[in-house]
Amino acid sequence: MAKQNTAVKNKSISYARWGYIFIIPFFIVYAIFTLYPQILTVYNSFFEYYRDGLTVVGPRFVGLQNYKTLFEPGAAGYVPIFKYLGNTVWLWLLGAVPQFLIAMMLALFFTSTRLNIKGQQFFKSVIYMPNLIMASCFAMLFFSLFSQVGPVNQFLVSSGAISTPINFLGMQVTVQTLIALMNFLMWFGNTTILLMAGIQGIDESMFESARLDGSTSTQVFFNITMPLLMPIFIYVFITSMIGGIQMFDVPQVLTNGKGIPNNTSTTLIMYLNQFLGISKNYGMAGAVSVLLFIVTAILSIFVFRTIRADNK
Amino acid sequence: MAEVILKNIKKVYPNSEPKEKKGLFGKKKTEEEKPHRTHHLQITDEGVVAVQEFSLDIKDKEFIVLVGPSGCGKSTTLRMVAGLEEISGGELYIDGNLVNSVEPKDRDIAMVFQSYALYPHMTVYDNMAYSLKIKNVPKDQIDKKVREAAEILDISQYLNRKPKALSGGQRQRVAIGRAIVRDPKVLLMDEPLSNLDAKLRNQMRAEIIKLRNRINTTFIYVTHDQTEAMTLGDRIVVMKDGFIQQIGTPQEVFDHPSNLFVAGFIGTPQMNFFDARLALKNGEYYVEIDDISVKLSEEKQKRLREKGVKEQEVTLGVRPEHMNISDKGIEGRIDVTELMGSSCHLHMTIKDKDAIVIVPREGNIENHMGQKIHLDFSGNVAHIFSKEDNHNLEY
Amino acid sequence: MKSNANKTAEIKLLISRIVVYAILIFLSFLCLFFFYLMLINSTRSNAQLQSGFTLIPQNNLFKNLYNAWHDGDINIPVGMKNSFIVAMCSALLTTYFSAMTAYGTYVYNFKGKRFVHLFILAIMMIPSQVSAVGFIQLAFKYNLTNKLWLLIIPSIAAPATYFYMRQYLQATLPIDMVEAARIDGSSEFKIFNQIVLPIMKPAIAVQMIFSFVASWNNYFMPALLLNKPDKKTVPIMIATLRSADYSKFDMGKVYMLMVMAILPVMIIYIILSKSIIKGVTSGSVKG
Repeated sequence: MAKQNTAVKNKSISYARWGYIFIIPFFIVYAIFTLYPQILTVYNSFFEYYRDGLTVVGPRFVGLQNYKTLFEPGAAGYVPIFKYLGNTVWLWLLGAVPQFLIAMMLALFFTSTRLNIKGQQFFKSVIYMPNLIMASCFAMLFFSLFSQVGPVNQFLVSSGAISTPINFLGMQVTVQTLIALMNFLMWFGNTTILLMAGIQGIDESMFESARLDGSTSTQVFFNITMPLLMPIFIYVFITSMIGGIQMFDVPQVLTNGKGIPNNTSTTLIMYLNQFLGISKNYGMAGAVSVLLFIVTAILSIFVFRTIRADNK
Repeated sequence: MAEVILKNIKKVYPNSEPKEKKGLFGKKKTEEEKPHRTHHLQITDEGVVAVQEFSLDIKDKEFIVLVGPSGCGKSTTLRMVAGLEEISGGELYIDGNLVNSVEPKDRDIAMVFQSYALYPHMTVYDNMAYSLKIKNVPKDQIDKKVREAAEILDISQYLNRKPKALSGGQRQRVAIGRAIVRDPKVLLMDEPLSNLDAKLRNQMRAEIIKLRNRINTTFIYVTHDQTEAMTLGDRIVVMKDGFIQQIGTPQEVFDHPSNLFVAGFIGTPQMNFFDARLALKNGEYYVEIDDISVKLSEEKQKRLREKGVKEQEVTLGVRPEHMNISDKGIEGRIDVTELMGSSCHLHMTIKDKDAIVIVPREGNIENHMGQKIHLDFSGNVAHIFSKEDNHNLEY
Repeated sequence: MKSNANKTAEIKLLISRIVVYAILIFLSFLCLFFFYLMLINSTRSNAQLQSGFTLIPQNNLFKNLYNAWHDGDINIPVGMKNSFIVAMCSALLTTYFSAMTAYGTYVYNFKGKRFVHLFILAIMMIPSQVSAVGFIQLAFKYNLTNKLWLLIIPSIAAPATYFYMRQYLQATLPIDMVEAARIDGSSEFKIFNQIVLPIMKPAIAVQMIFSFVASWNNYFMPALLLNKPDKKTVPIMIATLRSADYSKFDMGKVYMLMVMAILPVMIIYIILSKSIIKGVTSGSVKG
């Protein structure tokens, strides 16, 4: 019966190699189309390398010169990168604060068994909808609607509220408000849905026992809901911040890439985009990208912390 | 239709590579996968030894049951036979061929999983036909085989349903059907009944016995339930902590447990154990406990004599049904009496330990809580275990 | 007395309900209003648009549609075709390969598996713009600008989709199923394609939609890579509308172009909003 009696080395029914086979396409593509360009980005940041008209300057190793330039005041008297980072954070905050307040409120409405909101599916569908709209198109729409000859001004003038059209796209306050409004509209539905899921993930009996213990709904919110929701809230908040740092389409199209007026709505990525345009300033663009990477990396560490804490 | 020979099979899980197997169903399995957590498995430099020194010759068409508590290595052994788990050492032969490195698909085995593992997106028919389709069996032949198997298992009317639309028992049948359509050389079953409720389990157990008579194949069946083992197996392999404890027919294992563990594991209610003394008087062996001294049966005398067993302190094991109420003997207090139809179970405290005694109802004098009674037993049902290593002194 | 307390409670509840519904309706209005205006304006002629504001559709819809479709500068049919090719191919590739990668790290035990999983999680947060500089540089160096496939292929490596698929597998695919298929004689690739993919259908559908939408709306990279008119995608065309001299435009046509830019996504959303909303939560929240 025993045809072979020699001891055999047992190797081949291990499936480990299949694991590698299944993940290899991902890593090949990642290495070529993402990792290598990323390394190149960092590499570029140490070189003078740009296009001036038809001539290409560089690449010439300049060490940290690009970073120095990045933190030097420009012709207008301010350090562009600080200003644009500031703009980005400010524009994000303008949209994010109402976004989180309203989303939190809606999430509580939707999950309240006492209120028992009807038509939830409809409301959720409507408030999530702007998230899927092409951001560049959304911005173009706002530009058209709020232009000096656009319907909003037409309405305001014809209703007698104002006598001359408002230059919405010429003033810092209105431009920033419009950008914040668009960001708010695009993201508050998404945030609502995520926070709702977080609240629904909390054991219902917690609320019930708190209520039977005599807590008011405000007390339930601060003593039960918020503490238990915290990890998810922080997760959603920081991912929103990471998204905010990357804000581009809306201000770019709304201000035609100029960040009007006076670069008060120019974001970090718009700045990066300027270097990547005709000038192809890979050196400076690289330096901006590295900065962007560092900022998001720091934020991401917070995300991972909260995820880990949540998993415990 | 094949012999299966396991020679000194061993399984080591390297420490560095923690098994990460999570499934919705595999709760039982997860436990088995991480044996080192709850059990006393040997840990060597190589890792955790889940199975070792496993040698067994399984005859053609034999029904073998691997039984033991969770983490004993029974499922791991089965999975090694299936080819789902690498064999760390030893040799495995199916039908005379060494198959250690052969992939499961080339071993000609089938397996029924505890979770059934039915493909949710396929109908019952397609589930059963899948393995044949892969082998490119002609369509009409597939059809014939699937319908035959469905007939045997009484699931013909569900062939067009998806698994979701079936009850637990029906899914179980489909899982078995999927295994038998292929006429495998060996049919492996991994706790196939433990996801069913008690009533269905009894029914399916009978079905498996019927099935076994209808199809000609070798069965290897894993369970933690000793009743299943006793009723199904031609031979039972009792395992604990990665080692085989005993191999034998159900009767052998029941009548002659090779050690304290097997004695306690097989048989329900559990065997009672007492501290006693094995005495040798005039060349005859006696067990002495309290004020009685019971002479062992001739058979036992012979075996003990052959082994030259000396006088010593022992653990005495007597099954509940082998104890009788008597005037003298082991003294104990009745805690609870349970009337079980034809017999009566007395839950007792004997020498500060729990024990159960089964007495016939007729002979049962009005027993009540707190009453003190005496028990004895005859010499042919006393099991004598060494105090040192818990093995049965007869063997 | 008792019934009095009950009554006040009832009134309180009624008032809070009214307030809540009012808030919901107001926010819904805010979300819909601008798009409603866009739709209305797309039915009006340039002259009508200049003359004033209205909320009632007018009769110029088909004229605008015709003009938008046949515009000399902005070739929206080609843009939509390009966008569709990129979005569709990306959606297919990203879901298939993410599922495959997730399956690889979920089912198989190999050295470094944990590291691979954590690595993908770590790179998930890196903004795509960080690789843009090098990417653009390479594209120009190897003359690969205006190649649509250059926007498609990178979607094979999508960490976020991987993460979603991995979560889904963990929740729905018992390892037993894979082992049963192995014993049934299936090869590893067949197991993935014939058993696992069908089980993952819901996750694949959701991720295909999200990936399609993201790709359809993507502006940053395509704008840097595509400059030939016959290769441009829709977002680039919409953005050029903004940079062109605004005053000489037929505004009815402009609104119509915008409608066309978002229409495909809106149609998908109207049909599948329920599963899309479900998809928002299932992948993202739980670590």
